[in-house]
Amino acid sequence: MLQAHSLLWHYLWIAPRILTLTLVAALLRGNFRRRYPIFFSYLIFSTIEGICLYVFDVSSRFSPFTWWRAFLVGTIIEGLLKFALIGELVHHLLHPWPSIAKLGRNLISGAGVVLVLGASVAAAFAVPDNAPRVVGGAHIISEAIYLTAAGLIASIFVLAAYFHIPWESTNFGIAVGAGFTWCLHLAVWALVTGGVVRNQVWEDLAMEAAYHVSVLIWCYYLLIPHEVSIQNPAPALPEGSLDLWNRELERLLQ
Amino acid sequence: MTLAIVLIVAALLGLSFILGVTLSRSRQLVRGGSAKQIQPIDIEAFRNLVDPAEDEYLRHRLGASDFRRVRRERLLAMAAYVRVAGRNAALLVRVGQSALAVSDPHTAEAARQLVDNALLLRRNATIALLRIYGALAWPTSGLAATPVLRGYERLSGSAMLLGRLQNPAMPVRISAAS
Repeated sequence: MLQAHSLLWHYLWIAPRILTLTLVAALLRGNFRRRYPIFFSYLIFSTIEGICLYVFDVSSRFSPFTWWRAFLVGTIIEGLLKFALIGELVHHLLHPWPSIAKLGRNLISGAGVVLVLGASVAAAFAVPDNAPRVVGGAHIISEAIYLTAAGLIASIFVLAAYFHIPWESTNFGIAVGAGFTWCLHLAVWALVTGGVVRNQVWEDLAMEAAYHVSVLIWCYYLLIPHEVSIQNPAPALPEGSLDLWNRELERLLQ
Repeated sequence: MTLAIVLIVAALLGLSFILGVTLSRSRQLVRGGSAKQIQPIDIEAFRNLVDPAEDEYLRHRLGASDFRRVRRERLLAMAAYVRVAGRNAALLVRVGQSALAVSDPHTAEAARQLVDNALLLRRNATIALLRIYGALAWPTSGLAATPVLRGYERLSGSAMLLGRLQNPAMPVRISAAS
């Protein structure tokens, strides 16, 4: 394909992948792989995909069609991994709290159904372009996947914020990084499929920069310990009436 | 074009929300939970409000329009109690969360129990509020807010246990003494 690209473009395609590989190597040491197998696979797959697409882009041996076909296949596989990752995040968020787990899962599933319908509507109303089918198809599928994935991750944040469900630091970091990049990718793909912008260099730069920031977020949350609460003193508790409540509970049990 | 704008706005709103949650979470982790903000609730008064026998008594003693007016006032009072219970549950989640990582296994288990019960109460309070607002439109219908009451009582037990484990001299209080 061999196109002339800026130094920034090369940096944004290569640096996040090297960072991700470093992160993967660092995470291999502990039991992270067993706790978050899908996120681990997602990191590895997105790195391989990114490197392949970069090579296809800069090498003259591959045609633009090859690049777009590879991009389409990668997007579909990565999309499936994204939905599996959302399931993993929901599991880690709700599993420790049985009282809210079922309702939480139902609400997220409901949001998923609505988002898939929304993505279908958005795909149906995509502005057609003169590009080959594989290019247009890749645009629409990307938008549909990011619309559903970003919507789902935002729903998880809304659910956790409304019910004040405690986030485990690692889970939170993964969700923030994923949410950040998926929301920005959705915004860019909405512009592309809406026909507002097409074939602009900044689309690529914006999406790669967003991914770069996400990798930095993951490095921050996954490599630096965040158990701040241990250092905090026990919260001050107000004076109260233990006997009254014990009586009340005993009465209720009878 | 319109759809693109809608999607961009939605994406940016989602992004702002996620970043807002991230910032507020880091502030919360530094501050920790504070049980001082908990508003005690008079459980006996709430129990009277949700008692179906009281409603039956009022239904027989009052005329239809008077009953509907009184019932709406009672439902509004009930909603106020449930909102406070839900807010207290959220505060207790934070209190429990700050004790989850302590080294003492009994305290950590009590904290886990408190958080789970507080989440249950928050869930019940949400459902009860929806039912109360539904009943406000239809004041003569029956209403079951009892799960909130039971959840609140169970939560108090968990909060007291955690309070006792952390500071034996000062147990937590989330209901008003009668």
